[in-house]
Amino acid sequence: MIPPMLRGIEFNVDMIFVTAKAWILSLLAQFLPAWLLVLASIVISGVVILCLGPVIMMYLTLLERKLLGRIQNRYGPNRVGKWGLLQPIADGIKMFTKEDIVPANADKIVHLLAPIVIVVPALMVFLVVPFGERMTAVNLNIGLLFFIAVSSITILPIFMGSWASRNKYSLLGGMRTAAQMISYEIPMTLAVVPAIMMSQSLSTNTIVLSQVGDYDLHWYIFTPWGIVGFIVFFLCATAECNRPPFDLPEAESELVAGFHTEYSGMKFALFYMAEYMNAFTLCAIAATLFLGGWQGPFLPSWLWFFGKTFLLICVMIWFRGTFPRFRVDHLMGFAWKFLLPLTLLNILLTALWQFTSNLAAWFWSILILGISLWTLVKLNRTFVPEKRHYPMGN
Amino acid sequence: MPILEMAAKFGVYAVMGVILIFALGVVTLRNLFHCALCLAAALIGIASIYVVLQAEYLAGVQILLYVGAVVTLVIFAIMLTEHLAGKTVRQNNSQSPLAIMALLGFMALIGTVIVKTPWPVTPAALASKVSVMGLGKALMGAYVFPFEVISILLIAVLVGTVIIAKKDTPERS
Amino acid sequence: MTVFGWGVFKGMMVTLKNFLTSYYRKPDEGGIFTVQYPEEREKKIENFRNFPFLVYDETPGKIRCVACGICERECPTKCIHIEMELDATGKPARKPAVFDIDYGLCMNCGMCEEVCPFDSIFMDHVFEITAPERQTGLVRHKDALLKANEYFQKIRPTLASVIDQKRKAAEEKKKAAAAPQPVPPPSTGGPTQGAV
Repeated sequence: MIPPMLRGIEFNVDMIFVTAKAWILSLLAQFLPAWLLVLASIVISGVVILCLGPVIMMYLTLLERKLLGRIQNRYGPNRVGKWGLLQPIADGIKMFTKEDIVPANADKIVHLLAPIVIVVPALMVFLVVPFGERMTAVNLNIGLLFFIAVSSITILPIFMGSWASRNKYSLLGGMRTAAQMISYEIPMTLAVVPAIMMSQSLSTNTIVLSQVGDYDLHWYIFTPWGIVGFIVFFLCATAECNRPPFDLPEAESELVAGFHTEYSGMKFALFYMAEYMNAFTLCAIAATLFLGGWQGPFLPSWLWFFGKTFLLICVMIWFRGTFPRFRVDHLMGFAWKFLLPLTLLNILLTALWQFTSNLAAWFWSILILGISLWTLVKLNRTFVPEKRHYPMGN
Repeated sequence: MPILEMAAKFGVYAVMGVILIFALGVVTLRNLFHCALCLAAALIGIASIYVVLQAEYLAGVQILLYVGAVVTLVIFAIMLTEHLAGKTVRQNNSQSPLAIMALLGFMALIGTVIVKTPWPVTPAALASKVSVMGLGKALMGAYVFPFEVISILLIAVLVGTVIIAKKDTPERS
Repeated sequence: MTVFGWGVFKGMMVTLKNFLTSYYRKPDEGGIFTVQYPEEREKKIENFRNFPFLVYDETPGKIRCVACGICERECPTKCIHIEMELDATGKPARKPAVFDIDYGLCMNCGMCEEVCPFDSIFMDHVFEITAPERQTGLVRHKDALLKANEYFQKIRPTLASVIDQKRKAAEEKKKAAAAPQPVPPPSTGGPTQGAV
């Protein structure tokens, strides 16, 4: 029956991971001193995240290849295991055994450090993601600020990688990537502000809890500012991970591979891992902020959370299969001239919503949004340079 | 748990030492890019000190602004300078010993001032924690005028940058 | 509708439709047309030509080839080697004792099939041929090259039926010519008899 450790702890599927951790800690409490128990608690959370991150990344790559294949009228990988399920393991073995080539003129220390430094923030942001009810690894009360701040560190190793490779294509790619990431961080941060305003807290858990309501209609996406905020945040998240259609910096057909051209083997695997883990965490935060996080009627909370996050990841993969790449000036223009004014307007709409939230507010919000979108589109028309006349010789 | 507190204290002193080493690296390394990276590391270390001092919001904003924006700007400036790759910059000249002595004297002066000043470290001050809401209210309430002046300054800087960086269109006659 | 972003939405609907229909549409309707190689094979057309093989009727003894050597002379890469069988008295029996084709040299041109006057050598459809090494592993001797006429009919039905009809007609003509001539009936009267 129930072992003596577990008696007194309520057992339901929703709390299975929390219960498991409490059980392990109670086992360890028998022969560890109190201070070591605190450390053990931290270590257990850390180990779970360190195992979860790369495994999620591996199966994300497989999911992407299979979905992209179906969109493009072909099967994805299906030879390695049934449905290709062992393909990521084969890829991992390949990455481990490839030769590590460092260019002769490269800055060796910085070249080595760049992939290491890019994986650290990608893993650190897993700490504030609320995987389920009471399942945030560290419940910081500035969780969202931590998330945004730590994701902004990712720009530094891109510079490091591109500079240390001593390759002009890498340098160009690195500059473009850094410029793109900085430009899209601003609308991303501002798109998050309405959610903070409405839930009066920066903690991710509190933001999810403030979306509790009847029939899940209190999710922030069902409000005018929520829709705009979600779309803007999702587009900026796609740009932050350098995913198509915003992947000019690492465009395979134009810049070889951008800032990670000169990396091979495990170092390239670390860059690749950081990109996919960033994609996962950004989708996870989009789900928590606007889609209600781990809330849902019948299934356990962590199942809802992963379902929503994977739905958003499938939408990112869908974007990849559908759109061609943005040109770099269009990319920047979109962020600064369209998304940024839209997010500032969104904050105004949220302030309006704070006063009333009935049909009149919907009407006024849609009116304001419509006028401003029309204005922004007109102001952002494609710039056609004047036609040059080349006088012919005779 | 005294052992955890001791370990925490030791960790904090270690971080402070590492910050000082990185800061020294900023001014003495020969490769300019390495200097910028040491600056980033030092600023991240300072953010961790803020966390220890229970000012988490300040730590987050420090990383977001200093490491995410200021150091990025410094690195852009370094990268856009031509022919800098591989060049080493000499960080000291014949006046270095004199400068170091002056610096040590200055540090002694500042250290004496710091030790002798009666800082208002009262239990009430130690127990109070400024929340983000308190910061927001102060910024919009008591300090709204400096806030608006700073935003006007930023707008002026932005407009000036765009004008300076704009290409001169040739006159069409 | 030219609302901003409509093209984006329509594009995404196109890819969604392609994704969903790829699960059940057949290849000719626009579905996935990958042939999963070891489990499925592509349908071969009848005139697909790979390496040559020899045809026999009914038993491997009744080989159609008479070792005339025309294919050996016509082969551009000289991959065929034929030696005529000598019977007990040293006279050439019209059968090959040795018939080697080096598949490593053969370039699948089909000249041997075109010039053979005895309809005995044709191009096969088998292409999954491997050998442990290149110099001697790819040489095929007579017993590996012999395949039944039924096999030939299976892989190239129209050509096989034309050749079978031709051979049957030739055989019947031979049989008719070899049979003893029927004695013509004596004429009961000449044209001059009975004329008044």
